[in-house]
Amino acid sequence: MAKEITIEELRTMARRAGLPLPDDELLRLLPGVKRAQSQAASLRELFTNAAEPATIFTTFKIDLK
Amino acid sequence: MQNNQLCYLTIIEAAAALRKNDVSPVDLTEATLKRIQAIDSNLHAFITVTADLALQQARQAEQELSAGKDRGPLHGIPIALKDLYMTKGIRTTCHSAVLENWVPDYDATTVTKLKEAGAILLGKLGMHEFAFGGPSVDAPFPAVRNPWNTEHVTGGSSSGCGAALAAGLCFGALGSDTGGSIRTPSAHCGVVGIKPTYGRVSRYGIIPLSWSLDHAGPMARCIEDCALLLQAIAGFDAKDPASAMVAVPDFLCGLKDGIANLRIGVPRAAWFDENLGVDEETETVFNQALEVLKSLGATIIDIDGRPFSLARKANQTILVCEAYAYHEKTLQETPMKFGSSVRRRMLEGAFLSAADYLTAQRARSMLNERIRANFSQVDIFAAPSAPRPPEAFSTMDPNEQNLRPSFTNPFNLTGLPAISVPCGFTQGNLPVGLQIAAKPFEESTVLRVAHSYEQATNWHDQRPVLE
Repeated sequence: MAKEITIEELRTMARRAGLPLPDDELLRLLPGVKRAQSQAASLRELFTNAAEPATIFTTFKIDLK
Repeated sequence: MQNNQLCYLTIIEAAAALRKNDVSPVDLTEATLKRIQAIDSNLHAFITVTADLALQQARQAEQELSAGKDRGPLHGIPIALKDLYMTKGIRTTCHSAVLENWVPDYDATTVTKLKEAGAILLGKLGMHEFAFGGPSVDAPFPAVRNPWNTEHVTGGSSSGCGAALAAGLCFGALGSDTGGSIRTPSAHCGVVGIKPTYGRVSRYGIIPLSWSLDHAGPMARCIEDCALLLQAIAGFDAKDPASAMVAVPDFLCGLKDGIANLRIGVPRAAWFDENLGVDEETETVFNQALEVLKSLGATIIDIDGRPFSLARKANQTILVCEAYAYHEKTLQETPMKFGSSVRRRMLEGAFLSAADYLTAQRARSMLNERIRANFSQVDIFAAPSAPRPPEAFSTMDPNEQNLRPSFTNPFNLTGLPAISVPCGFTQGNLPVGLQIAAKPFEESTVLRVAHSYEQATNWHDQRPVLE
């Protein structure tokens, strides 16, 4: 599992994402981001390589007209 | 009939009274508007009241009904909409400064359907900002308060729907549900709300929170009313890419068929005790509701709660990624226009990767399979609708929702139909909801079980003291 994100990394990522967030806002955001990242990481343990994402793409759209 | 008695009629009762000429659509509308004016300043259920339009629609309904042009049971019935349903010519704010004065130029498909059914629009209802985060305490509109105790939250995000119904400020409402936003306020306000199967009701013209988890659905004061509203809005819509081309059954037919031999799966183990676990009083009330269902002929079967427990992580990961993607431009340009709660939750999505999102979608496939596998041994699932009673504003902890099990998330992740029906009260007189979920497109089963329970109890007849 990747190491926890730091405030410096968060600041850099926010800048790259075009998000003009002041330092106090980044500090308030940090615990939620850590939780979200750790939550997402824990999902990786749930399935095998065979699992496909639950997203559907169809090459055509049904036209009822 | 006194004004408050008129306002607390069910849709079924009001529709019957209209056809016997005991009341008129104008009577119902005027009574409700008067009540909104009298008590909504304490509740803040409405963001926009469309009084002139409602009276105009009521007069039209009155003329049509007296001329024998009957559009069905919703004709002449005053309803209201969560303020993320797009309404042509009527402000649609999502309870946010971002859309404070935005007026759409078309109606959501569901709104069109309600208009065609002859329903009367009373106005647009308060919500959690953009259907996310907690009660919006720093939005341009006040947070909605719970009619059972105005010091407490309503739950959300369809907060205004729950409050307005419980307070007799409308006869039916449309909410939306991405992680529990119909079922939670229904439970906390002592009303009924159904999240139909994903694809059953069109999402076209509803401001998205998370495309793959959003569901539109009705809320009402009883199961029959909920079934009537669902009947009016369900069905395929080519404008919604997720809409399902599945026949819509008669949701009222079979409602009274009972639940003898029904097998109810309760995923208690490894779910109800997650982190802080379910509140003790809530679990007691839930267990009493199971006893009622047993007395009606159902069998209770314990099933593994682990896949239900894991669903929250996948649901939240998908939700924040999709919500951020939808709101990215506004978050980049004017982030402080969002309230602090919704802004911080949405921004989490900016710091998750594409792989994180697809990992959650892969987990979704697996959890969906594991949860649905239970249908080989049970017919429905039952759980509390919320892990605890509605919190007081003064002691609200935004992090607490992550410390308790989410009983609603699994049914957004899997798209299964799920309902909340009133099942009792805490000692502090706050409502508790029973949640029932079934196989895809089996809303009829969900409604039948909930109706059987409702008719065996009198929780849905309880009213908060407001005057």
